[in-house]
Amino acid sequence: MWLKLAGGVLVLVVCSWVGFQLAARCSGRPQHIRQMVSCLGSLKSYITYASMPLHEALMQCTQGIYGPIADFFHHTAELLEGNGGLSPQQAINTVLGDMQGQLMLKQPELEILSILGANLGQMNRQEQGNYLTMIIEQLEKFEGEAARLRDLNTKMYRYLGICGGLAIVILLV
Amino acid sequence: MLNIQKKESTSLLEKFIFPVLPPHLAAIIRVIPAAQLAYLMEIRLRVNSPLLLVLGSADIMLSAVGHIVNDLDAAYLCTRDDINKILQLISKNSLYAFEQELKMGFLTINGGHRVGLAGQAILDGGEMKALKNISSLNIRMAREIKGCGDKVMPYIISRENRLLSTLLISPPCCGKTTLLRDLIRQISRGNQEFRGQQVGVVDERSEIAACKNGIPTVDLGPRTDVLDGCPKATGMLMLIRSMSPGIVATDELGRAEDVCAVREALNAGVSILASVHGRDIHEVLARPYVGELIQHQYFDRYVVLSDRPKVGTIEKIIDSKKCKILWERE
Repeated sequence: MWLKLAGGVLVLVVCSWVGFQLAARCSGRPQHIRQMVSCLGSLKSYITYASMPLHEALMQCTQGIYGPIADFFHHTAELLEGNGGLSPQQAINTVLGDMQGQLMLKQPELEILSILGANLGQMNRQEQGNYLTMIIEQLEKFEGEAARLRDLNTKMYRYLGICGGLAIVILLV
Repeated sequence: MLNIQKKESTSLLEKFIFPVLPPHLAAIIRVIPAAQLAYLMEIRLRVNSPLLLVLGSADIMLSAVGHIVNDLDAAYLCTRDDINKILQLISKNSLYAFEQELKMGFLTINGGHRVGLAGQAILDGGEMKALKNISSLNIRMAREIKGCGDKVMPYIISRENRLLSTLLISPPCCGKTTLLRDLIRQISRGNQEFRGQQVGVVDERSEIAACKNGIPTVDLGPRTDVLDGCPKATGMLMLIRSMSPGIVATDELGRAEDVCAVREALNAGVSILASVHGRDIHEVLARPYVGELIQHQYFDRYVVLSDRPKVGTIEKIIDSKKCKILWERE
C-alpha cells in the first residue's frame, strides 16, 4: 500500500515537474527575446555613436541584463577577442552550439542570430545601424508571437502536467 | 649592427605584423632568413597576384612554402580571402570603427605600421564615401632608428637655442617619418648644447607616435604632446592654443589648409618641423599648395632625403633664406 502511494506521489511529482518546465520554457522565450532586443539596441548605439570595436561593444551591451542572454554576448565577445581569426558568424554559431538548452529561443530566433553574425562588423556605421534595426524589428515580431503563445500555453502546460500525472496514477492504481 | 637590425626586424614582425596576417602567410614569411628580413620595407598583397616582399629597393616573390622564386607561376598568389582575413584581423571584425581611415586609403596598426589599401571607390556627390572590394594591401614597416637625425641636428638649431623651421623633403618610402620621429625625440630630450623644448606632434595617420589608446608607443622624448588621429591643419592650431609648444611637428603636408595652418603657426612664433613628398625642392615648388611653402620661404632649412644607396640617405641640407647648401652627400 505504502509502496503504491509513494509511487503514485512520485509519478505525480514528475509529471507536474515536466508540465512546469514546459510552462517555464513558454514564458521564458519572450523574456529572452526581449533581453536580446535590449542588448542589440545597446550594441547598435555602441557601434553607431561610439564606434566601439565589436568585441568591446558586445561586452558592454549587456549592462543591466543577467542570465543566459548576457552570457551569450559575453562568450561571443571573449571568443572574438581571444581568436582574431574567427568571424562574428563563426563565433555566434559556436556560442549558440555551446549554450544549447540554456537559451529559450526557437529556430526562427536562432536563425536570425546566425544571420546577424554574417554582416556584423563588415559595414560602415550607418549601414550597420540599419542592419541592426532590421534584426531588432524582426525579433520584436517574434516576441509578440512568443507572448501570445505564452498566454495561451503556460497554464495549459501546468494543468496538463498535474492532470496527466493524476490520470496515470489513477490508471495504475 | 646587422645583428641588431636582424633581431629588431624579426621582433617587429612577430609582435606587430604576423598577428594581422593569416597563419599560412605568416608561415611563408617566417621561412625567409633573418638577414634578408632585416631589410624588409613592405609586404605587398594583391588579389590573384604574387605575395611580394620589398627588401630595400628590390622586391622578391615567394612560393607557397616560402622559397624565393623568380617564376610567376611558382609564386604564391594572394586570394581575396587573404585580403579579407587581413582586414578582419586588423579591424578586429570592426571595419565600421575605421570608416575615416578607409576613406583616406590606409589603416595604421599597432607599432605605427601603415597598411595602404586600394580597391573600388564608392562616391557620393563626387566625394569619396567609402572603399569596397579592397584588392590590394601594402603593409609598410615603421622603424624607430634612434640617432638617424644626428647629422641633421647641428644644422637646424640656431645660436639662440631655437629650432629653425625645417622641412624634410623626400619621395615616399625614403625614411622621412623615421627621421622626423628621431628629430622630435632629440629636440624634446635636448643635449649638452641644446636645451630640450616642448614639442607638439600632430599625428594625423598615427604613424609618428604609433599611439595606443592615446599614448605613444615609441620614444618621442620627455617634452612631447601628441594629438593623435587629428587632421593636421586643425591639430596644429589646436595644439598651439591648448599646449603652447615651442615646436609643432607633423608629417606629409599636402593640402591647402595645411599650408594655411603652417603660415598661421609660424606667425604665432612657433617653429615647424614637417615633411613633404618630393624628390627635391623644384618638385615641391611645382606642387599645388605646398609649392607656396618654398616660394614664400616659410621654412629656414630643407633636408632632402633619398633611398640611394639606402633608405634614409640625407642628400642635402639647405639654408632656404641664403639659398646655400650647408651640407651635401659626396
